[in-house]
Amino acid sequence: MPEIKVTPLGAGQDVGRSCILVSIAGKNVMLDCGMHMGYNDDRRFPDFSYITQNGRLTDFLDCVIISHFHLDHCGALPYFSEMVGYDGPIYMTHPTKAICPILLEDYRKITVDKKGETNFFTSQMIKDCMKKVVAVHLHQTVQVDEELEIKAYYAGHVLGAAMFQIKVGCESVVYTGDYNMTPDRHLGAAWIDKCRPDLLISESTYATTIRDSKRCRERDFLKKVHETVERGGKVLIPVFALGRAQELCILLETFWERMNLKAPIYFSTGLTEKANHYYKLFITWTNQKIRKTFVQRNMFEFKHIKAFDRAFADNPGPMVVFATPGMLHAGQSLQIFRKWAGNEKNMVIMPGYCVQGTVGHKILSGQRKLEMEGRQILEVKMQVEYMSFSAHADAKGIMQLIRQAEPRNVLLVHGEAKKMEFLKQKIEQEFHVSCFMPANGETSTILTNPCIPVDISLGLLKRETAIGPLPDAKKPKLMHGTLLMKDNSFRLVSPEQALKELGLAEHQLRFTCRVHIQDPRKEHETVLRVYNHLKGILKDYSVQHLPDGSITVESILIQATAHSEDQGTKVLLVSWTWQDEELGSYLTSLLKKGLPQST
Amino acid sequence: YRDLHTFELQAPTRLIEWACGNRVCVAGYGQSDGNEILQLIPPPTLLTKETQGLCPERDFKVECGGFSERPVYSLKYVPDTSLLVTSGPPDSSLQVWQVSAEDSDVIKCVSTLATENGTGQPWAKIATISARAPWVLHGSRLDRVQITEVESRKNVYTAASRGSEELSGLAFLDCNTLLLCCAIGQLCLADIRQPQSLVEAMSMPSAPCSEQWCMGTRHGAQGLEPSSQPVVRLSSRGLLTLTDLRKTSEFLALAKARVPSPGSGAEFLCVSWAPALEGYLAVSGFDGTVHVYDTHSWDSSGREAEPIFVHKGHAFGGAGGSGDLPLVTVHTWHLQKPRTLLSAASDGSLHVWDWVQPCGKC
Repeated sequence: MPEIKVTPLGAGQDVGRSCILVSIAGKNVMLDCGMHMGYNDDRRFPDFSYITQNGRLTDFLDCVIISHFHLDHCGALPYFSEMVGYDGPIYMTHPTKAICPILLEDYRKITVDKKGETNFFTSQMIKDCMKKVVAVHLHQTVQVDEELEIKAYYAGHVLGAAMFQIKVGCESVVYTGDYNMTPDRHLGAAWIDKCRPDLLISESTYATTIRDSKRCRERDFLKKVHETVERGGKVLIPVFALGRAQELCILLETFWERMNLKAPIYFSTGLTEKANHYYKLFITWTNQKIRKTFVQRNMFEFKHIKAFDRAFADNPGPMVVFATPGMLHAGQSLQIFRKWAGNEKNMVIMPGYCVQGTVGHKILSGQRKLEMEGRQILEVKMQVEYMSFSAHADAKGIMQLIRQAEPRNVLLVHGEAKKMEFLKQKIEQEFHVSCFMPANGETSTILTNPCIPVDISLGLLKRETAIGPLPDAKKPKLMHGTLLMKDNSFRLVSPEQALKELGLAEHQLRFTCRVHIQDPRKEHETVLRVYNHLKGILKDYSVQHLPDGSITVESILIQATAHSEDQGTKVLLVSWTWQDEELGSYLTSLLKKGLPQST
Repeated sequence: YRDLHTFELQAPTRLIEWACGNRVCVAGYGQSDGNEILQLIPPPTLLTKETQGLCPERDFKVECGGFSERPVYSLKYVPDTSLLVTSGPPDSSLQVWQVSAEDSDVIKCVSTLATENGTGQPWAKIATISARAPWVLHGSRLDRVQITEVESRKNVYTAASRGSEELSGLAFLDCNTLLLCCAIGQLCLADIRQPQSLVEAMSMPSAPCSEQWCMGTRHGAQGLEPSSQPVVRLSSRGLLTLTDLRKTSEFLALAKARVPSPGSGAEFLCVSWAPALEGYLAVSGFDGTVHVYDTHSWDSSGREAEPIFVHKGHAFGGAGGSGDLPLVTVHTWHLQKPRTLLSAASDGSLHVWDWVQPCGKC
């Protein structure tokens, strides 16, 4: 049976890293290559020895696909391609290709420079890795090789995130990566067509959550910012260049307008440069509202938000500043943080996950005394808040996606099996599909029913439609033919044609049966008796008595001989071809009943 | 408000029940099968005393769930067991479910408690207690009230009654005393140690007929005589009566809630006492709002009472333009936090809100 095999890689049962191996119709694809953000040692990398013990990964894998730039989906990519060794193609969307190296480099800096680790990839490795990347557009079918093709779909979640369809022949798998079914302020909702894949692979980490409404989160965010600004404090919001920052800007801008607030809001200039650079790449990935804020040269058409200058950080009075980098580990956001940390009227709002080792992570864990360069201790008196706007699909979202794509099977990754039983039942009940939930390292096998196209010869078709009842749309009609499989092509032809093409002669099958009859008379008299008997019964058939002493019933031959040992017994030889099987059997059983006495 | 969180359930619920460990249970009441019973873990913000603004964990988590073929109109946990009991149309039978949160997250239906001649009867109202054994008190009509032992399914008590009025609620006042509320308004007390004596309506000042009534009893308040706690009744036209069960011939207080008229029917009428705030009660079921009242200032005049607080969130919520305004189906108080309530509406919304006492009183 043809099958699709899926193995989520990685050590242990932990959620937190995505790396899935899929085998489909002889092709092997790796989906995502994430780093586990909670570990400091080699456990953070997926266990690639699963793929092949001693063979080369490049030979085994046909391609690698990365769904989006979050480190738990791409963090181990340079390690994989440069340190373990892989030279094949790596596919991702354009924004992902642009943003990945920046995040990877940031991450590398923190891990190596700040934490002093050695077994880690270098800047050059990141560059070399990105050279192997082939960027794809949404809904563009990319031919990886003659048989394997992939296509990206919009996934929402973050800028550039995509769901990928992997197709070989008529078998296909859709991998969702992280996605979101409800639109954001700056991103749309995930969307896929009714592609009916054999398998849909979906993350299920957030399947059991019922989310607080976005309005509440936003309201609380604005409340915090407002409170701080009202009491004269300063608010620092460390962000990555694009994406979430846009959303928060729009939010603040609208709020400032409505409340008629006067405190200045700044966006650091480093960001605007990078942003302009990415603007052209990303514009199709965000929604209408964002597009309006982008104007040809000056991308920030905000009334209340202005470009930041380093000197402003020392200005007295309240203000709000967006600065990079997002985890407070270096650069401008860290500089501002150091200036403002000592004042309890100020506040820093972390809008996303922070990697261990960064200042962001430390203050979120509750640390209030930080060691800076030169052994300086920084006391953090400012308020620290955490706000996550990043959205994942919940159970409702998963159901929606399944409804859109109509897969034949569903596979959920990243959930503990016994905690997913309810969701599994829900999916199975509503959609009548099988739901798989492999643990990390465990392989799930999904059986598929691929359609095999077969060409039928015109002659055969004409002949078959001519015999028997007329073709009827409601009644299937049975047809006989011979299937020829040659060089990956399948043809259905008539048996005669097949024999001819194959240079074979048709075999004739002949059955012979011996029936014993008690009759002491001479053979020719027995034959006469048999003839008269059959003639009387088989009125619709042609029964003939031939001059040579044999009887024919249609094309069945009956001859009589005397039994070698017993003169009183006659042996009737009944012989027929395979085509006359039915009549032959009938005759035999008829004769076995014996001859009537009268004849 | 001090705090407000809004959530959206996949399907609307008409019950919110607390379970041990601060769990909350909701269930679907749709006509088709595939109604889900969900046991939820509230976000940590609800569990702590102080409210945190931007706490990262702000979501409800589905701890376990089950599938019910019939709509779930009422659900009660059986104390000290891992069982819960549900009821709903099309008849007055009960379903017993097992919650086993360790092995698997599926709530399984383990048995059905059928009632004789139960088909065609309205759905049963239920109450549970585990004083002598896990019992469920149930019935859809006054003459069909019984107590069944949940595990053995044995009938422990059957109320004797002349009338067959439909019930809108029932409760254990203590392990021997039952309080029954009829839909047309009468309250009846029964002592299960005396099964032969007829259950009769307590004499009360007559209230206008052609209204539907429901009741609210006080939980908690340990150490106090249960029958000394006033019982509140709510009518479909907004009348609220407070009655002391020891002296039912007159009302302790009578007031009128400000409700839109004509009313939306009595399907979702809900009135409840605050467990941690003496004398406060909440009312819902007339529209998309929940009213909180302070009954200390009430007298027997029956005039319109001013609510201390009105939660309007559900009326503004959800999917715009879908025609009908959402109707609040149920509300409940947080067991420890004095001013926190949970409310659900017919559009699937679930709100958790914490109101602030106006005028600085605390």
